[in-house]
Amino acid sequence: MESPDDLRYSEQHEWIRVESGRATVGITDYAQDALGDVVYVQLPAVGSVLARGERVCEVESTKSVSDIYAPISGAVAEVNDQLVDGPERLNTDPYGDGWIFTIDVPDGNELDELMRADAYRRFVEQ
Amino acid sequence: MPAARLIDDVSSTSSAAEHMVADEALLDAIATGAPPALRVYTWCRPALSLGRFQSGSDVDRAACSRHGVEVVRRPSGGRALLHGADVTYAIALTRPPEPVLATYRLLARALVAGLARLDVNAVVTEHRERAGAACFGALAGADLRVGERKLCGSAQVRRGTAVLQHGAILLRRLAFDESDLVVGTERGELRAGTVTLEELGARHEPGAVATALVEGFATALDLDFTSRAPLPLVSSGRSLRG
Repeated sequence: MESPDDLRYSEQHEWIRVESGRATVGITDYAQDALGDVVYVQLPAVGSVLARGERVCEVESTKSVSDIYAPISGAVAEVNDQLVDGPERLNTDPYGDGWIFTIDVPDGNELDELMRADAYRRFVEQ
Repeated sequence: MPAARLIDDVSSTSSAAEHMVADEALLDAIATGAPPALRVYTWCRPALSLGRFQSGSDVDRAACSRHGVEVVRRPSGGRALLHGADVTYAIALTRPPEPVLATYRLLARALVAGLARLDVNAVVTEHRERAGAACFGALAGADLRVGERKLCGSAQVRRGTAVLQHGAILLRRLAFDESDLVVGTERGELRAGTVTLEELGARHEPGAVATALVEGFATALDLDFTSRAPLPLVSSGRSLRG
């Protein structure tokens, strides 16, 4: 399973990429493979304020509804509207076109509590 | 053998909405450390359950009203399913680490074992047909079929460390079906693609089917539903084992 070195990872299998105080969030290659074919993504509302670990939205795959969690705290700045008509992007390009939302990050300290790629790889191998 | 809760709502008079609340309560209880739970139930009035994100435009509301069918939304995924001549099961447990489909297959083994007690040789579907608006209009991975005809459809919701799977086993036919209620569903295809326990010549009284399912889950998942240990209740149901 791919897990790029430049990202941070949560135990709930979200990835996060921080650039200029804004974090982009998606689900990992491991997560999309475990979910199977994603057929629906319920996007969060722009502006909603999230606490770390809070349920943000849901995805449906294989007649199963699964939660997506906030890997860090912050306000939702953007959502990936292309997932409305193309939820399969979570499967085909989880670290690219399959991004789900961005968060304005007020506190960078929470990032340090997320796993680096090598630690995440060990985590999923357990 | 781990203790598990058994909730028998086979004679339930709950509304469709109350059934969904009860199922979701099983899921939430797992997150608070409750043991696995199995609920078996029937629907005292016909009801059409929709998947969590299924479009409401799939439903002919006027037709549902004419047939006295309550429409309810499930917390799980999947497509529209007509209840009223089925036994529904709901099992909640700590989420296995395996992928979604593997969890379906694990629980399918329990359903297969239960149906075997009714001398029904059900098998787990390995392929996926194009999904329509009705659950029983297509076979998906881990659905149960006899021959090529679907007997049991299931759906899941996964929340935190818990998973709830519920599904329906067709006992017999009602006078109407999803083709009367769900847009774009063809009666001929639906009938040809599904089978009931009655049509298979198997026992199809709800109590007998529920008991067989409980035994299947107990055996396949190694769960003890007979424990006398005090366990938190989520329903006013009675025990199948007295």
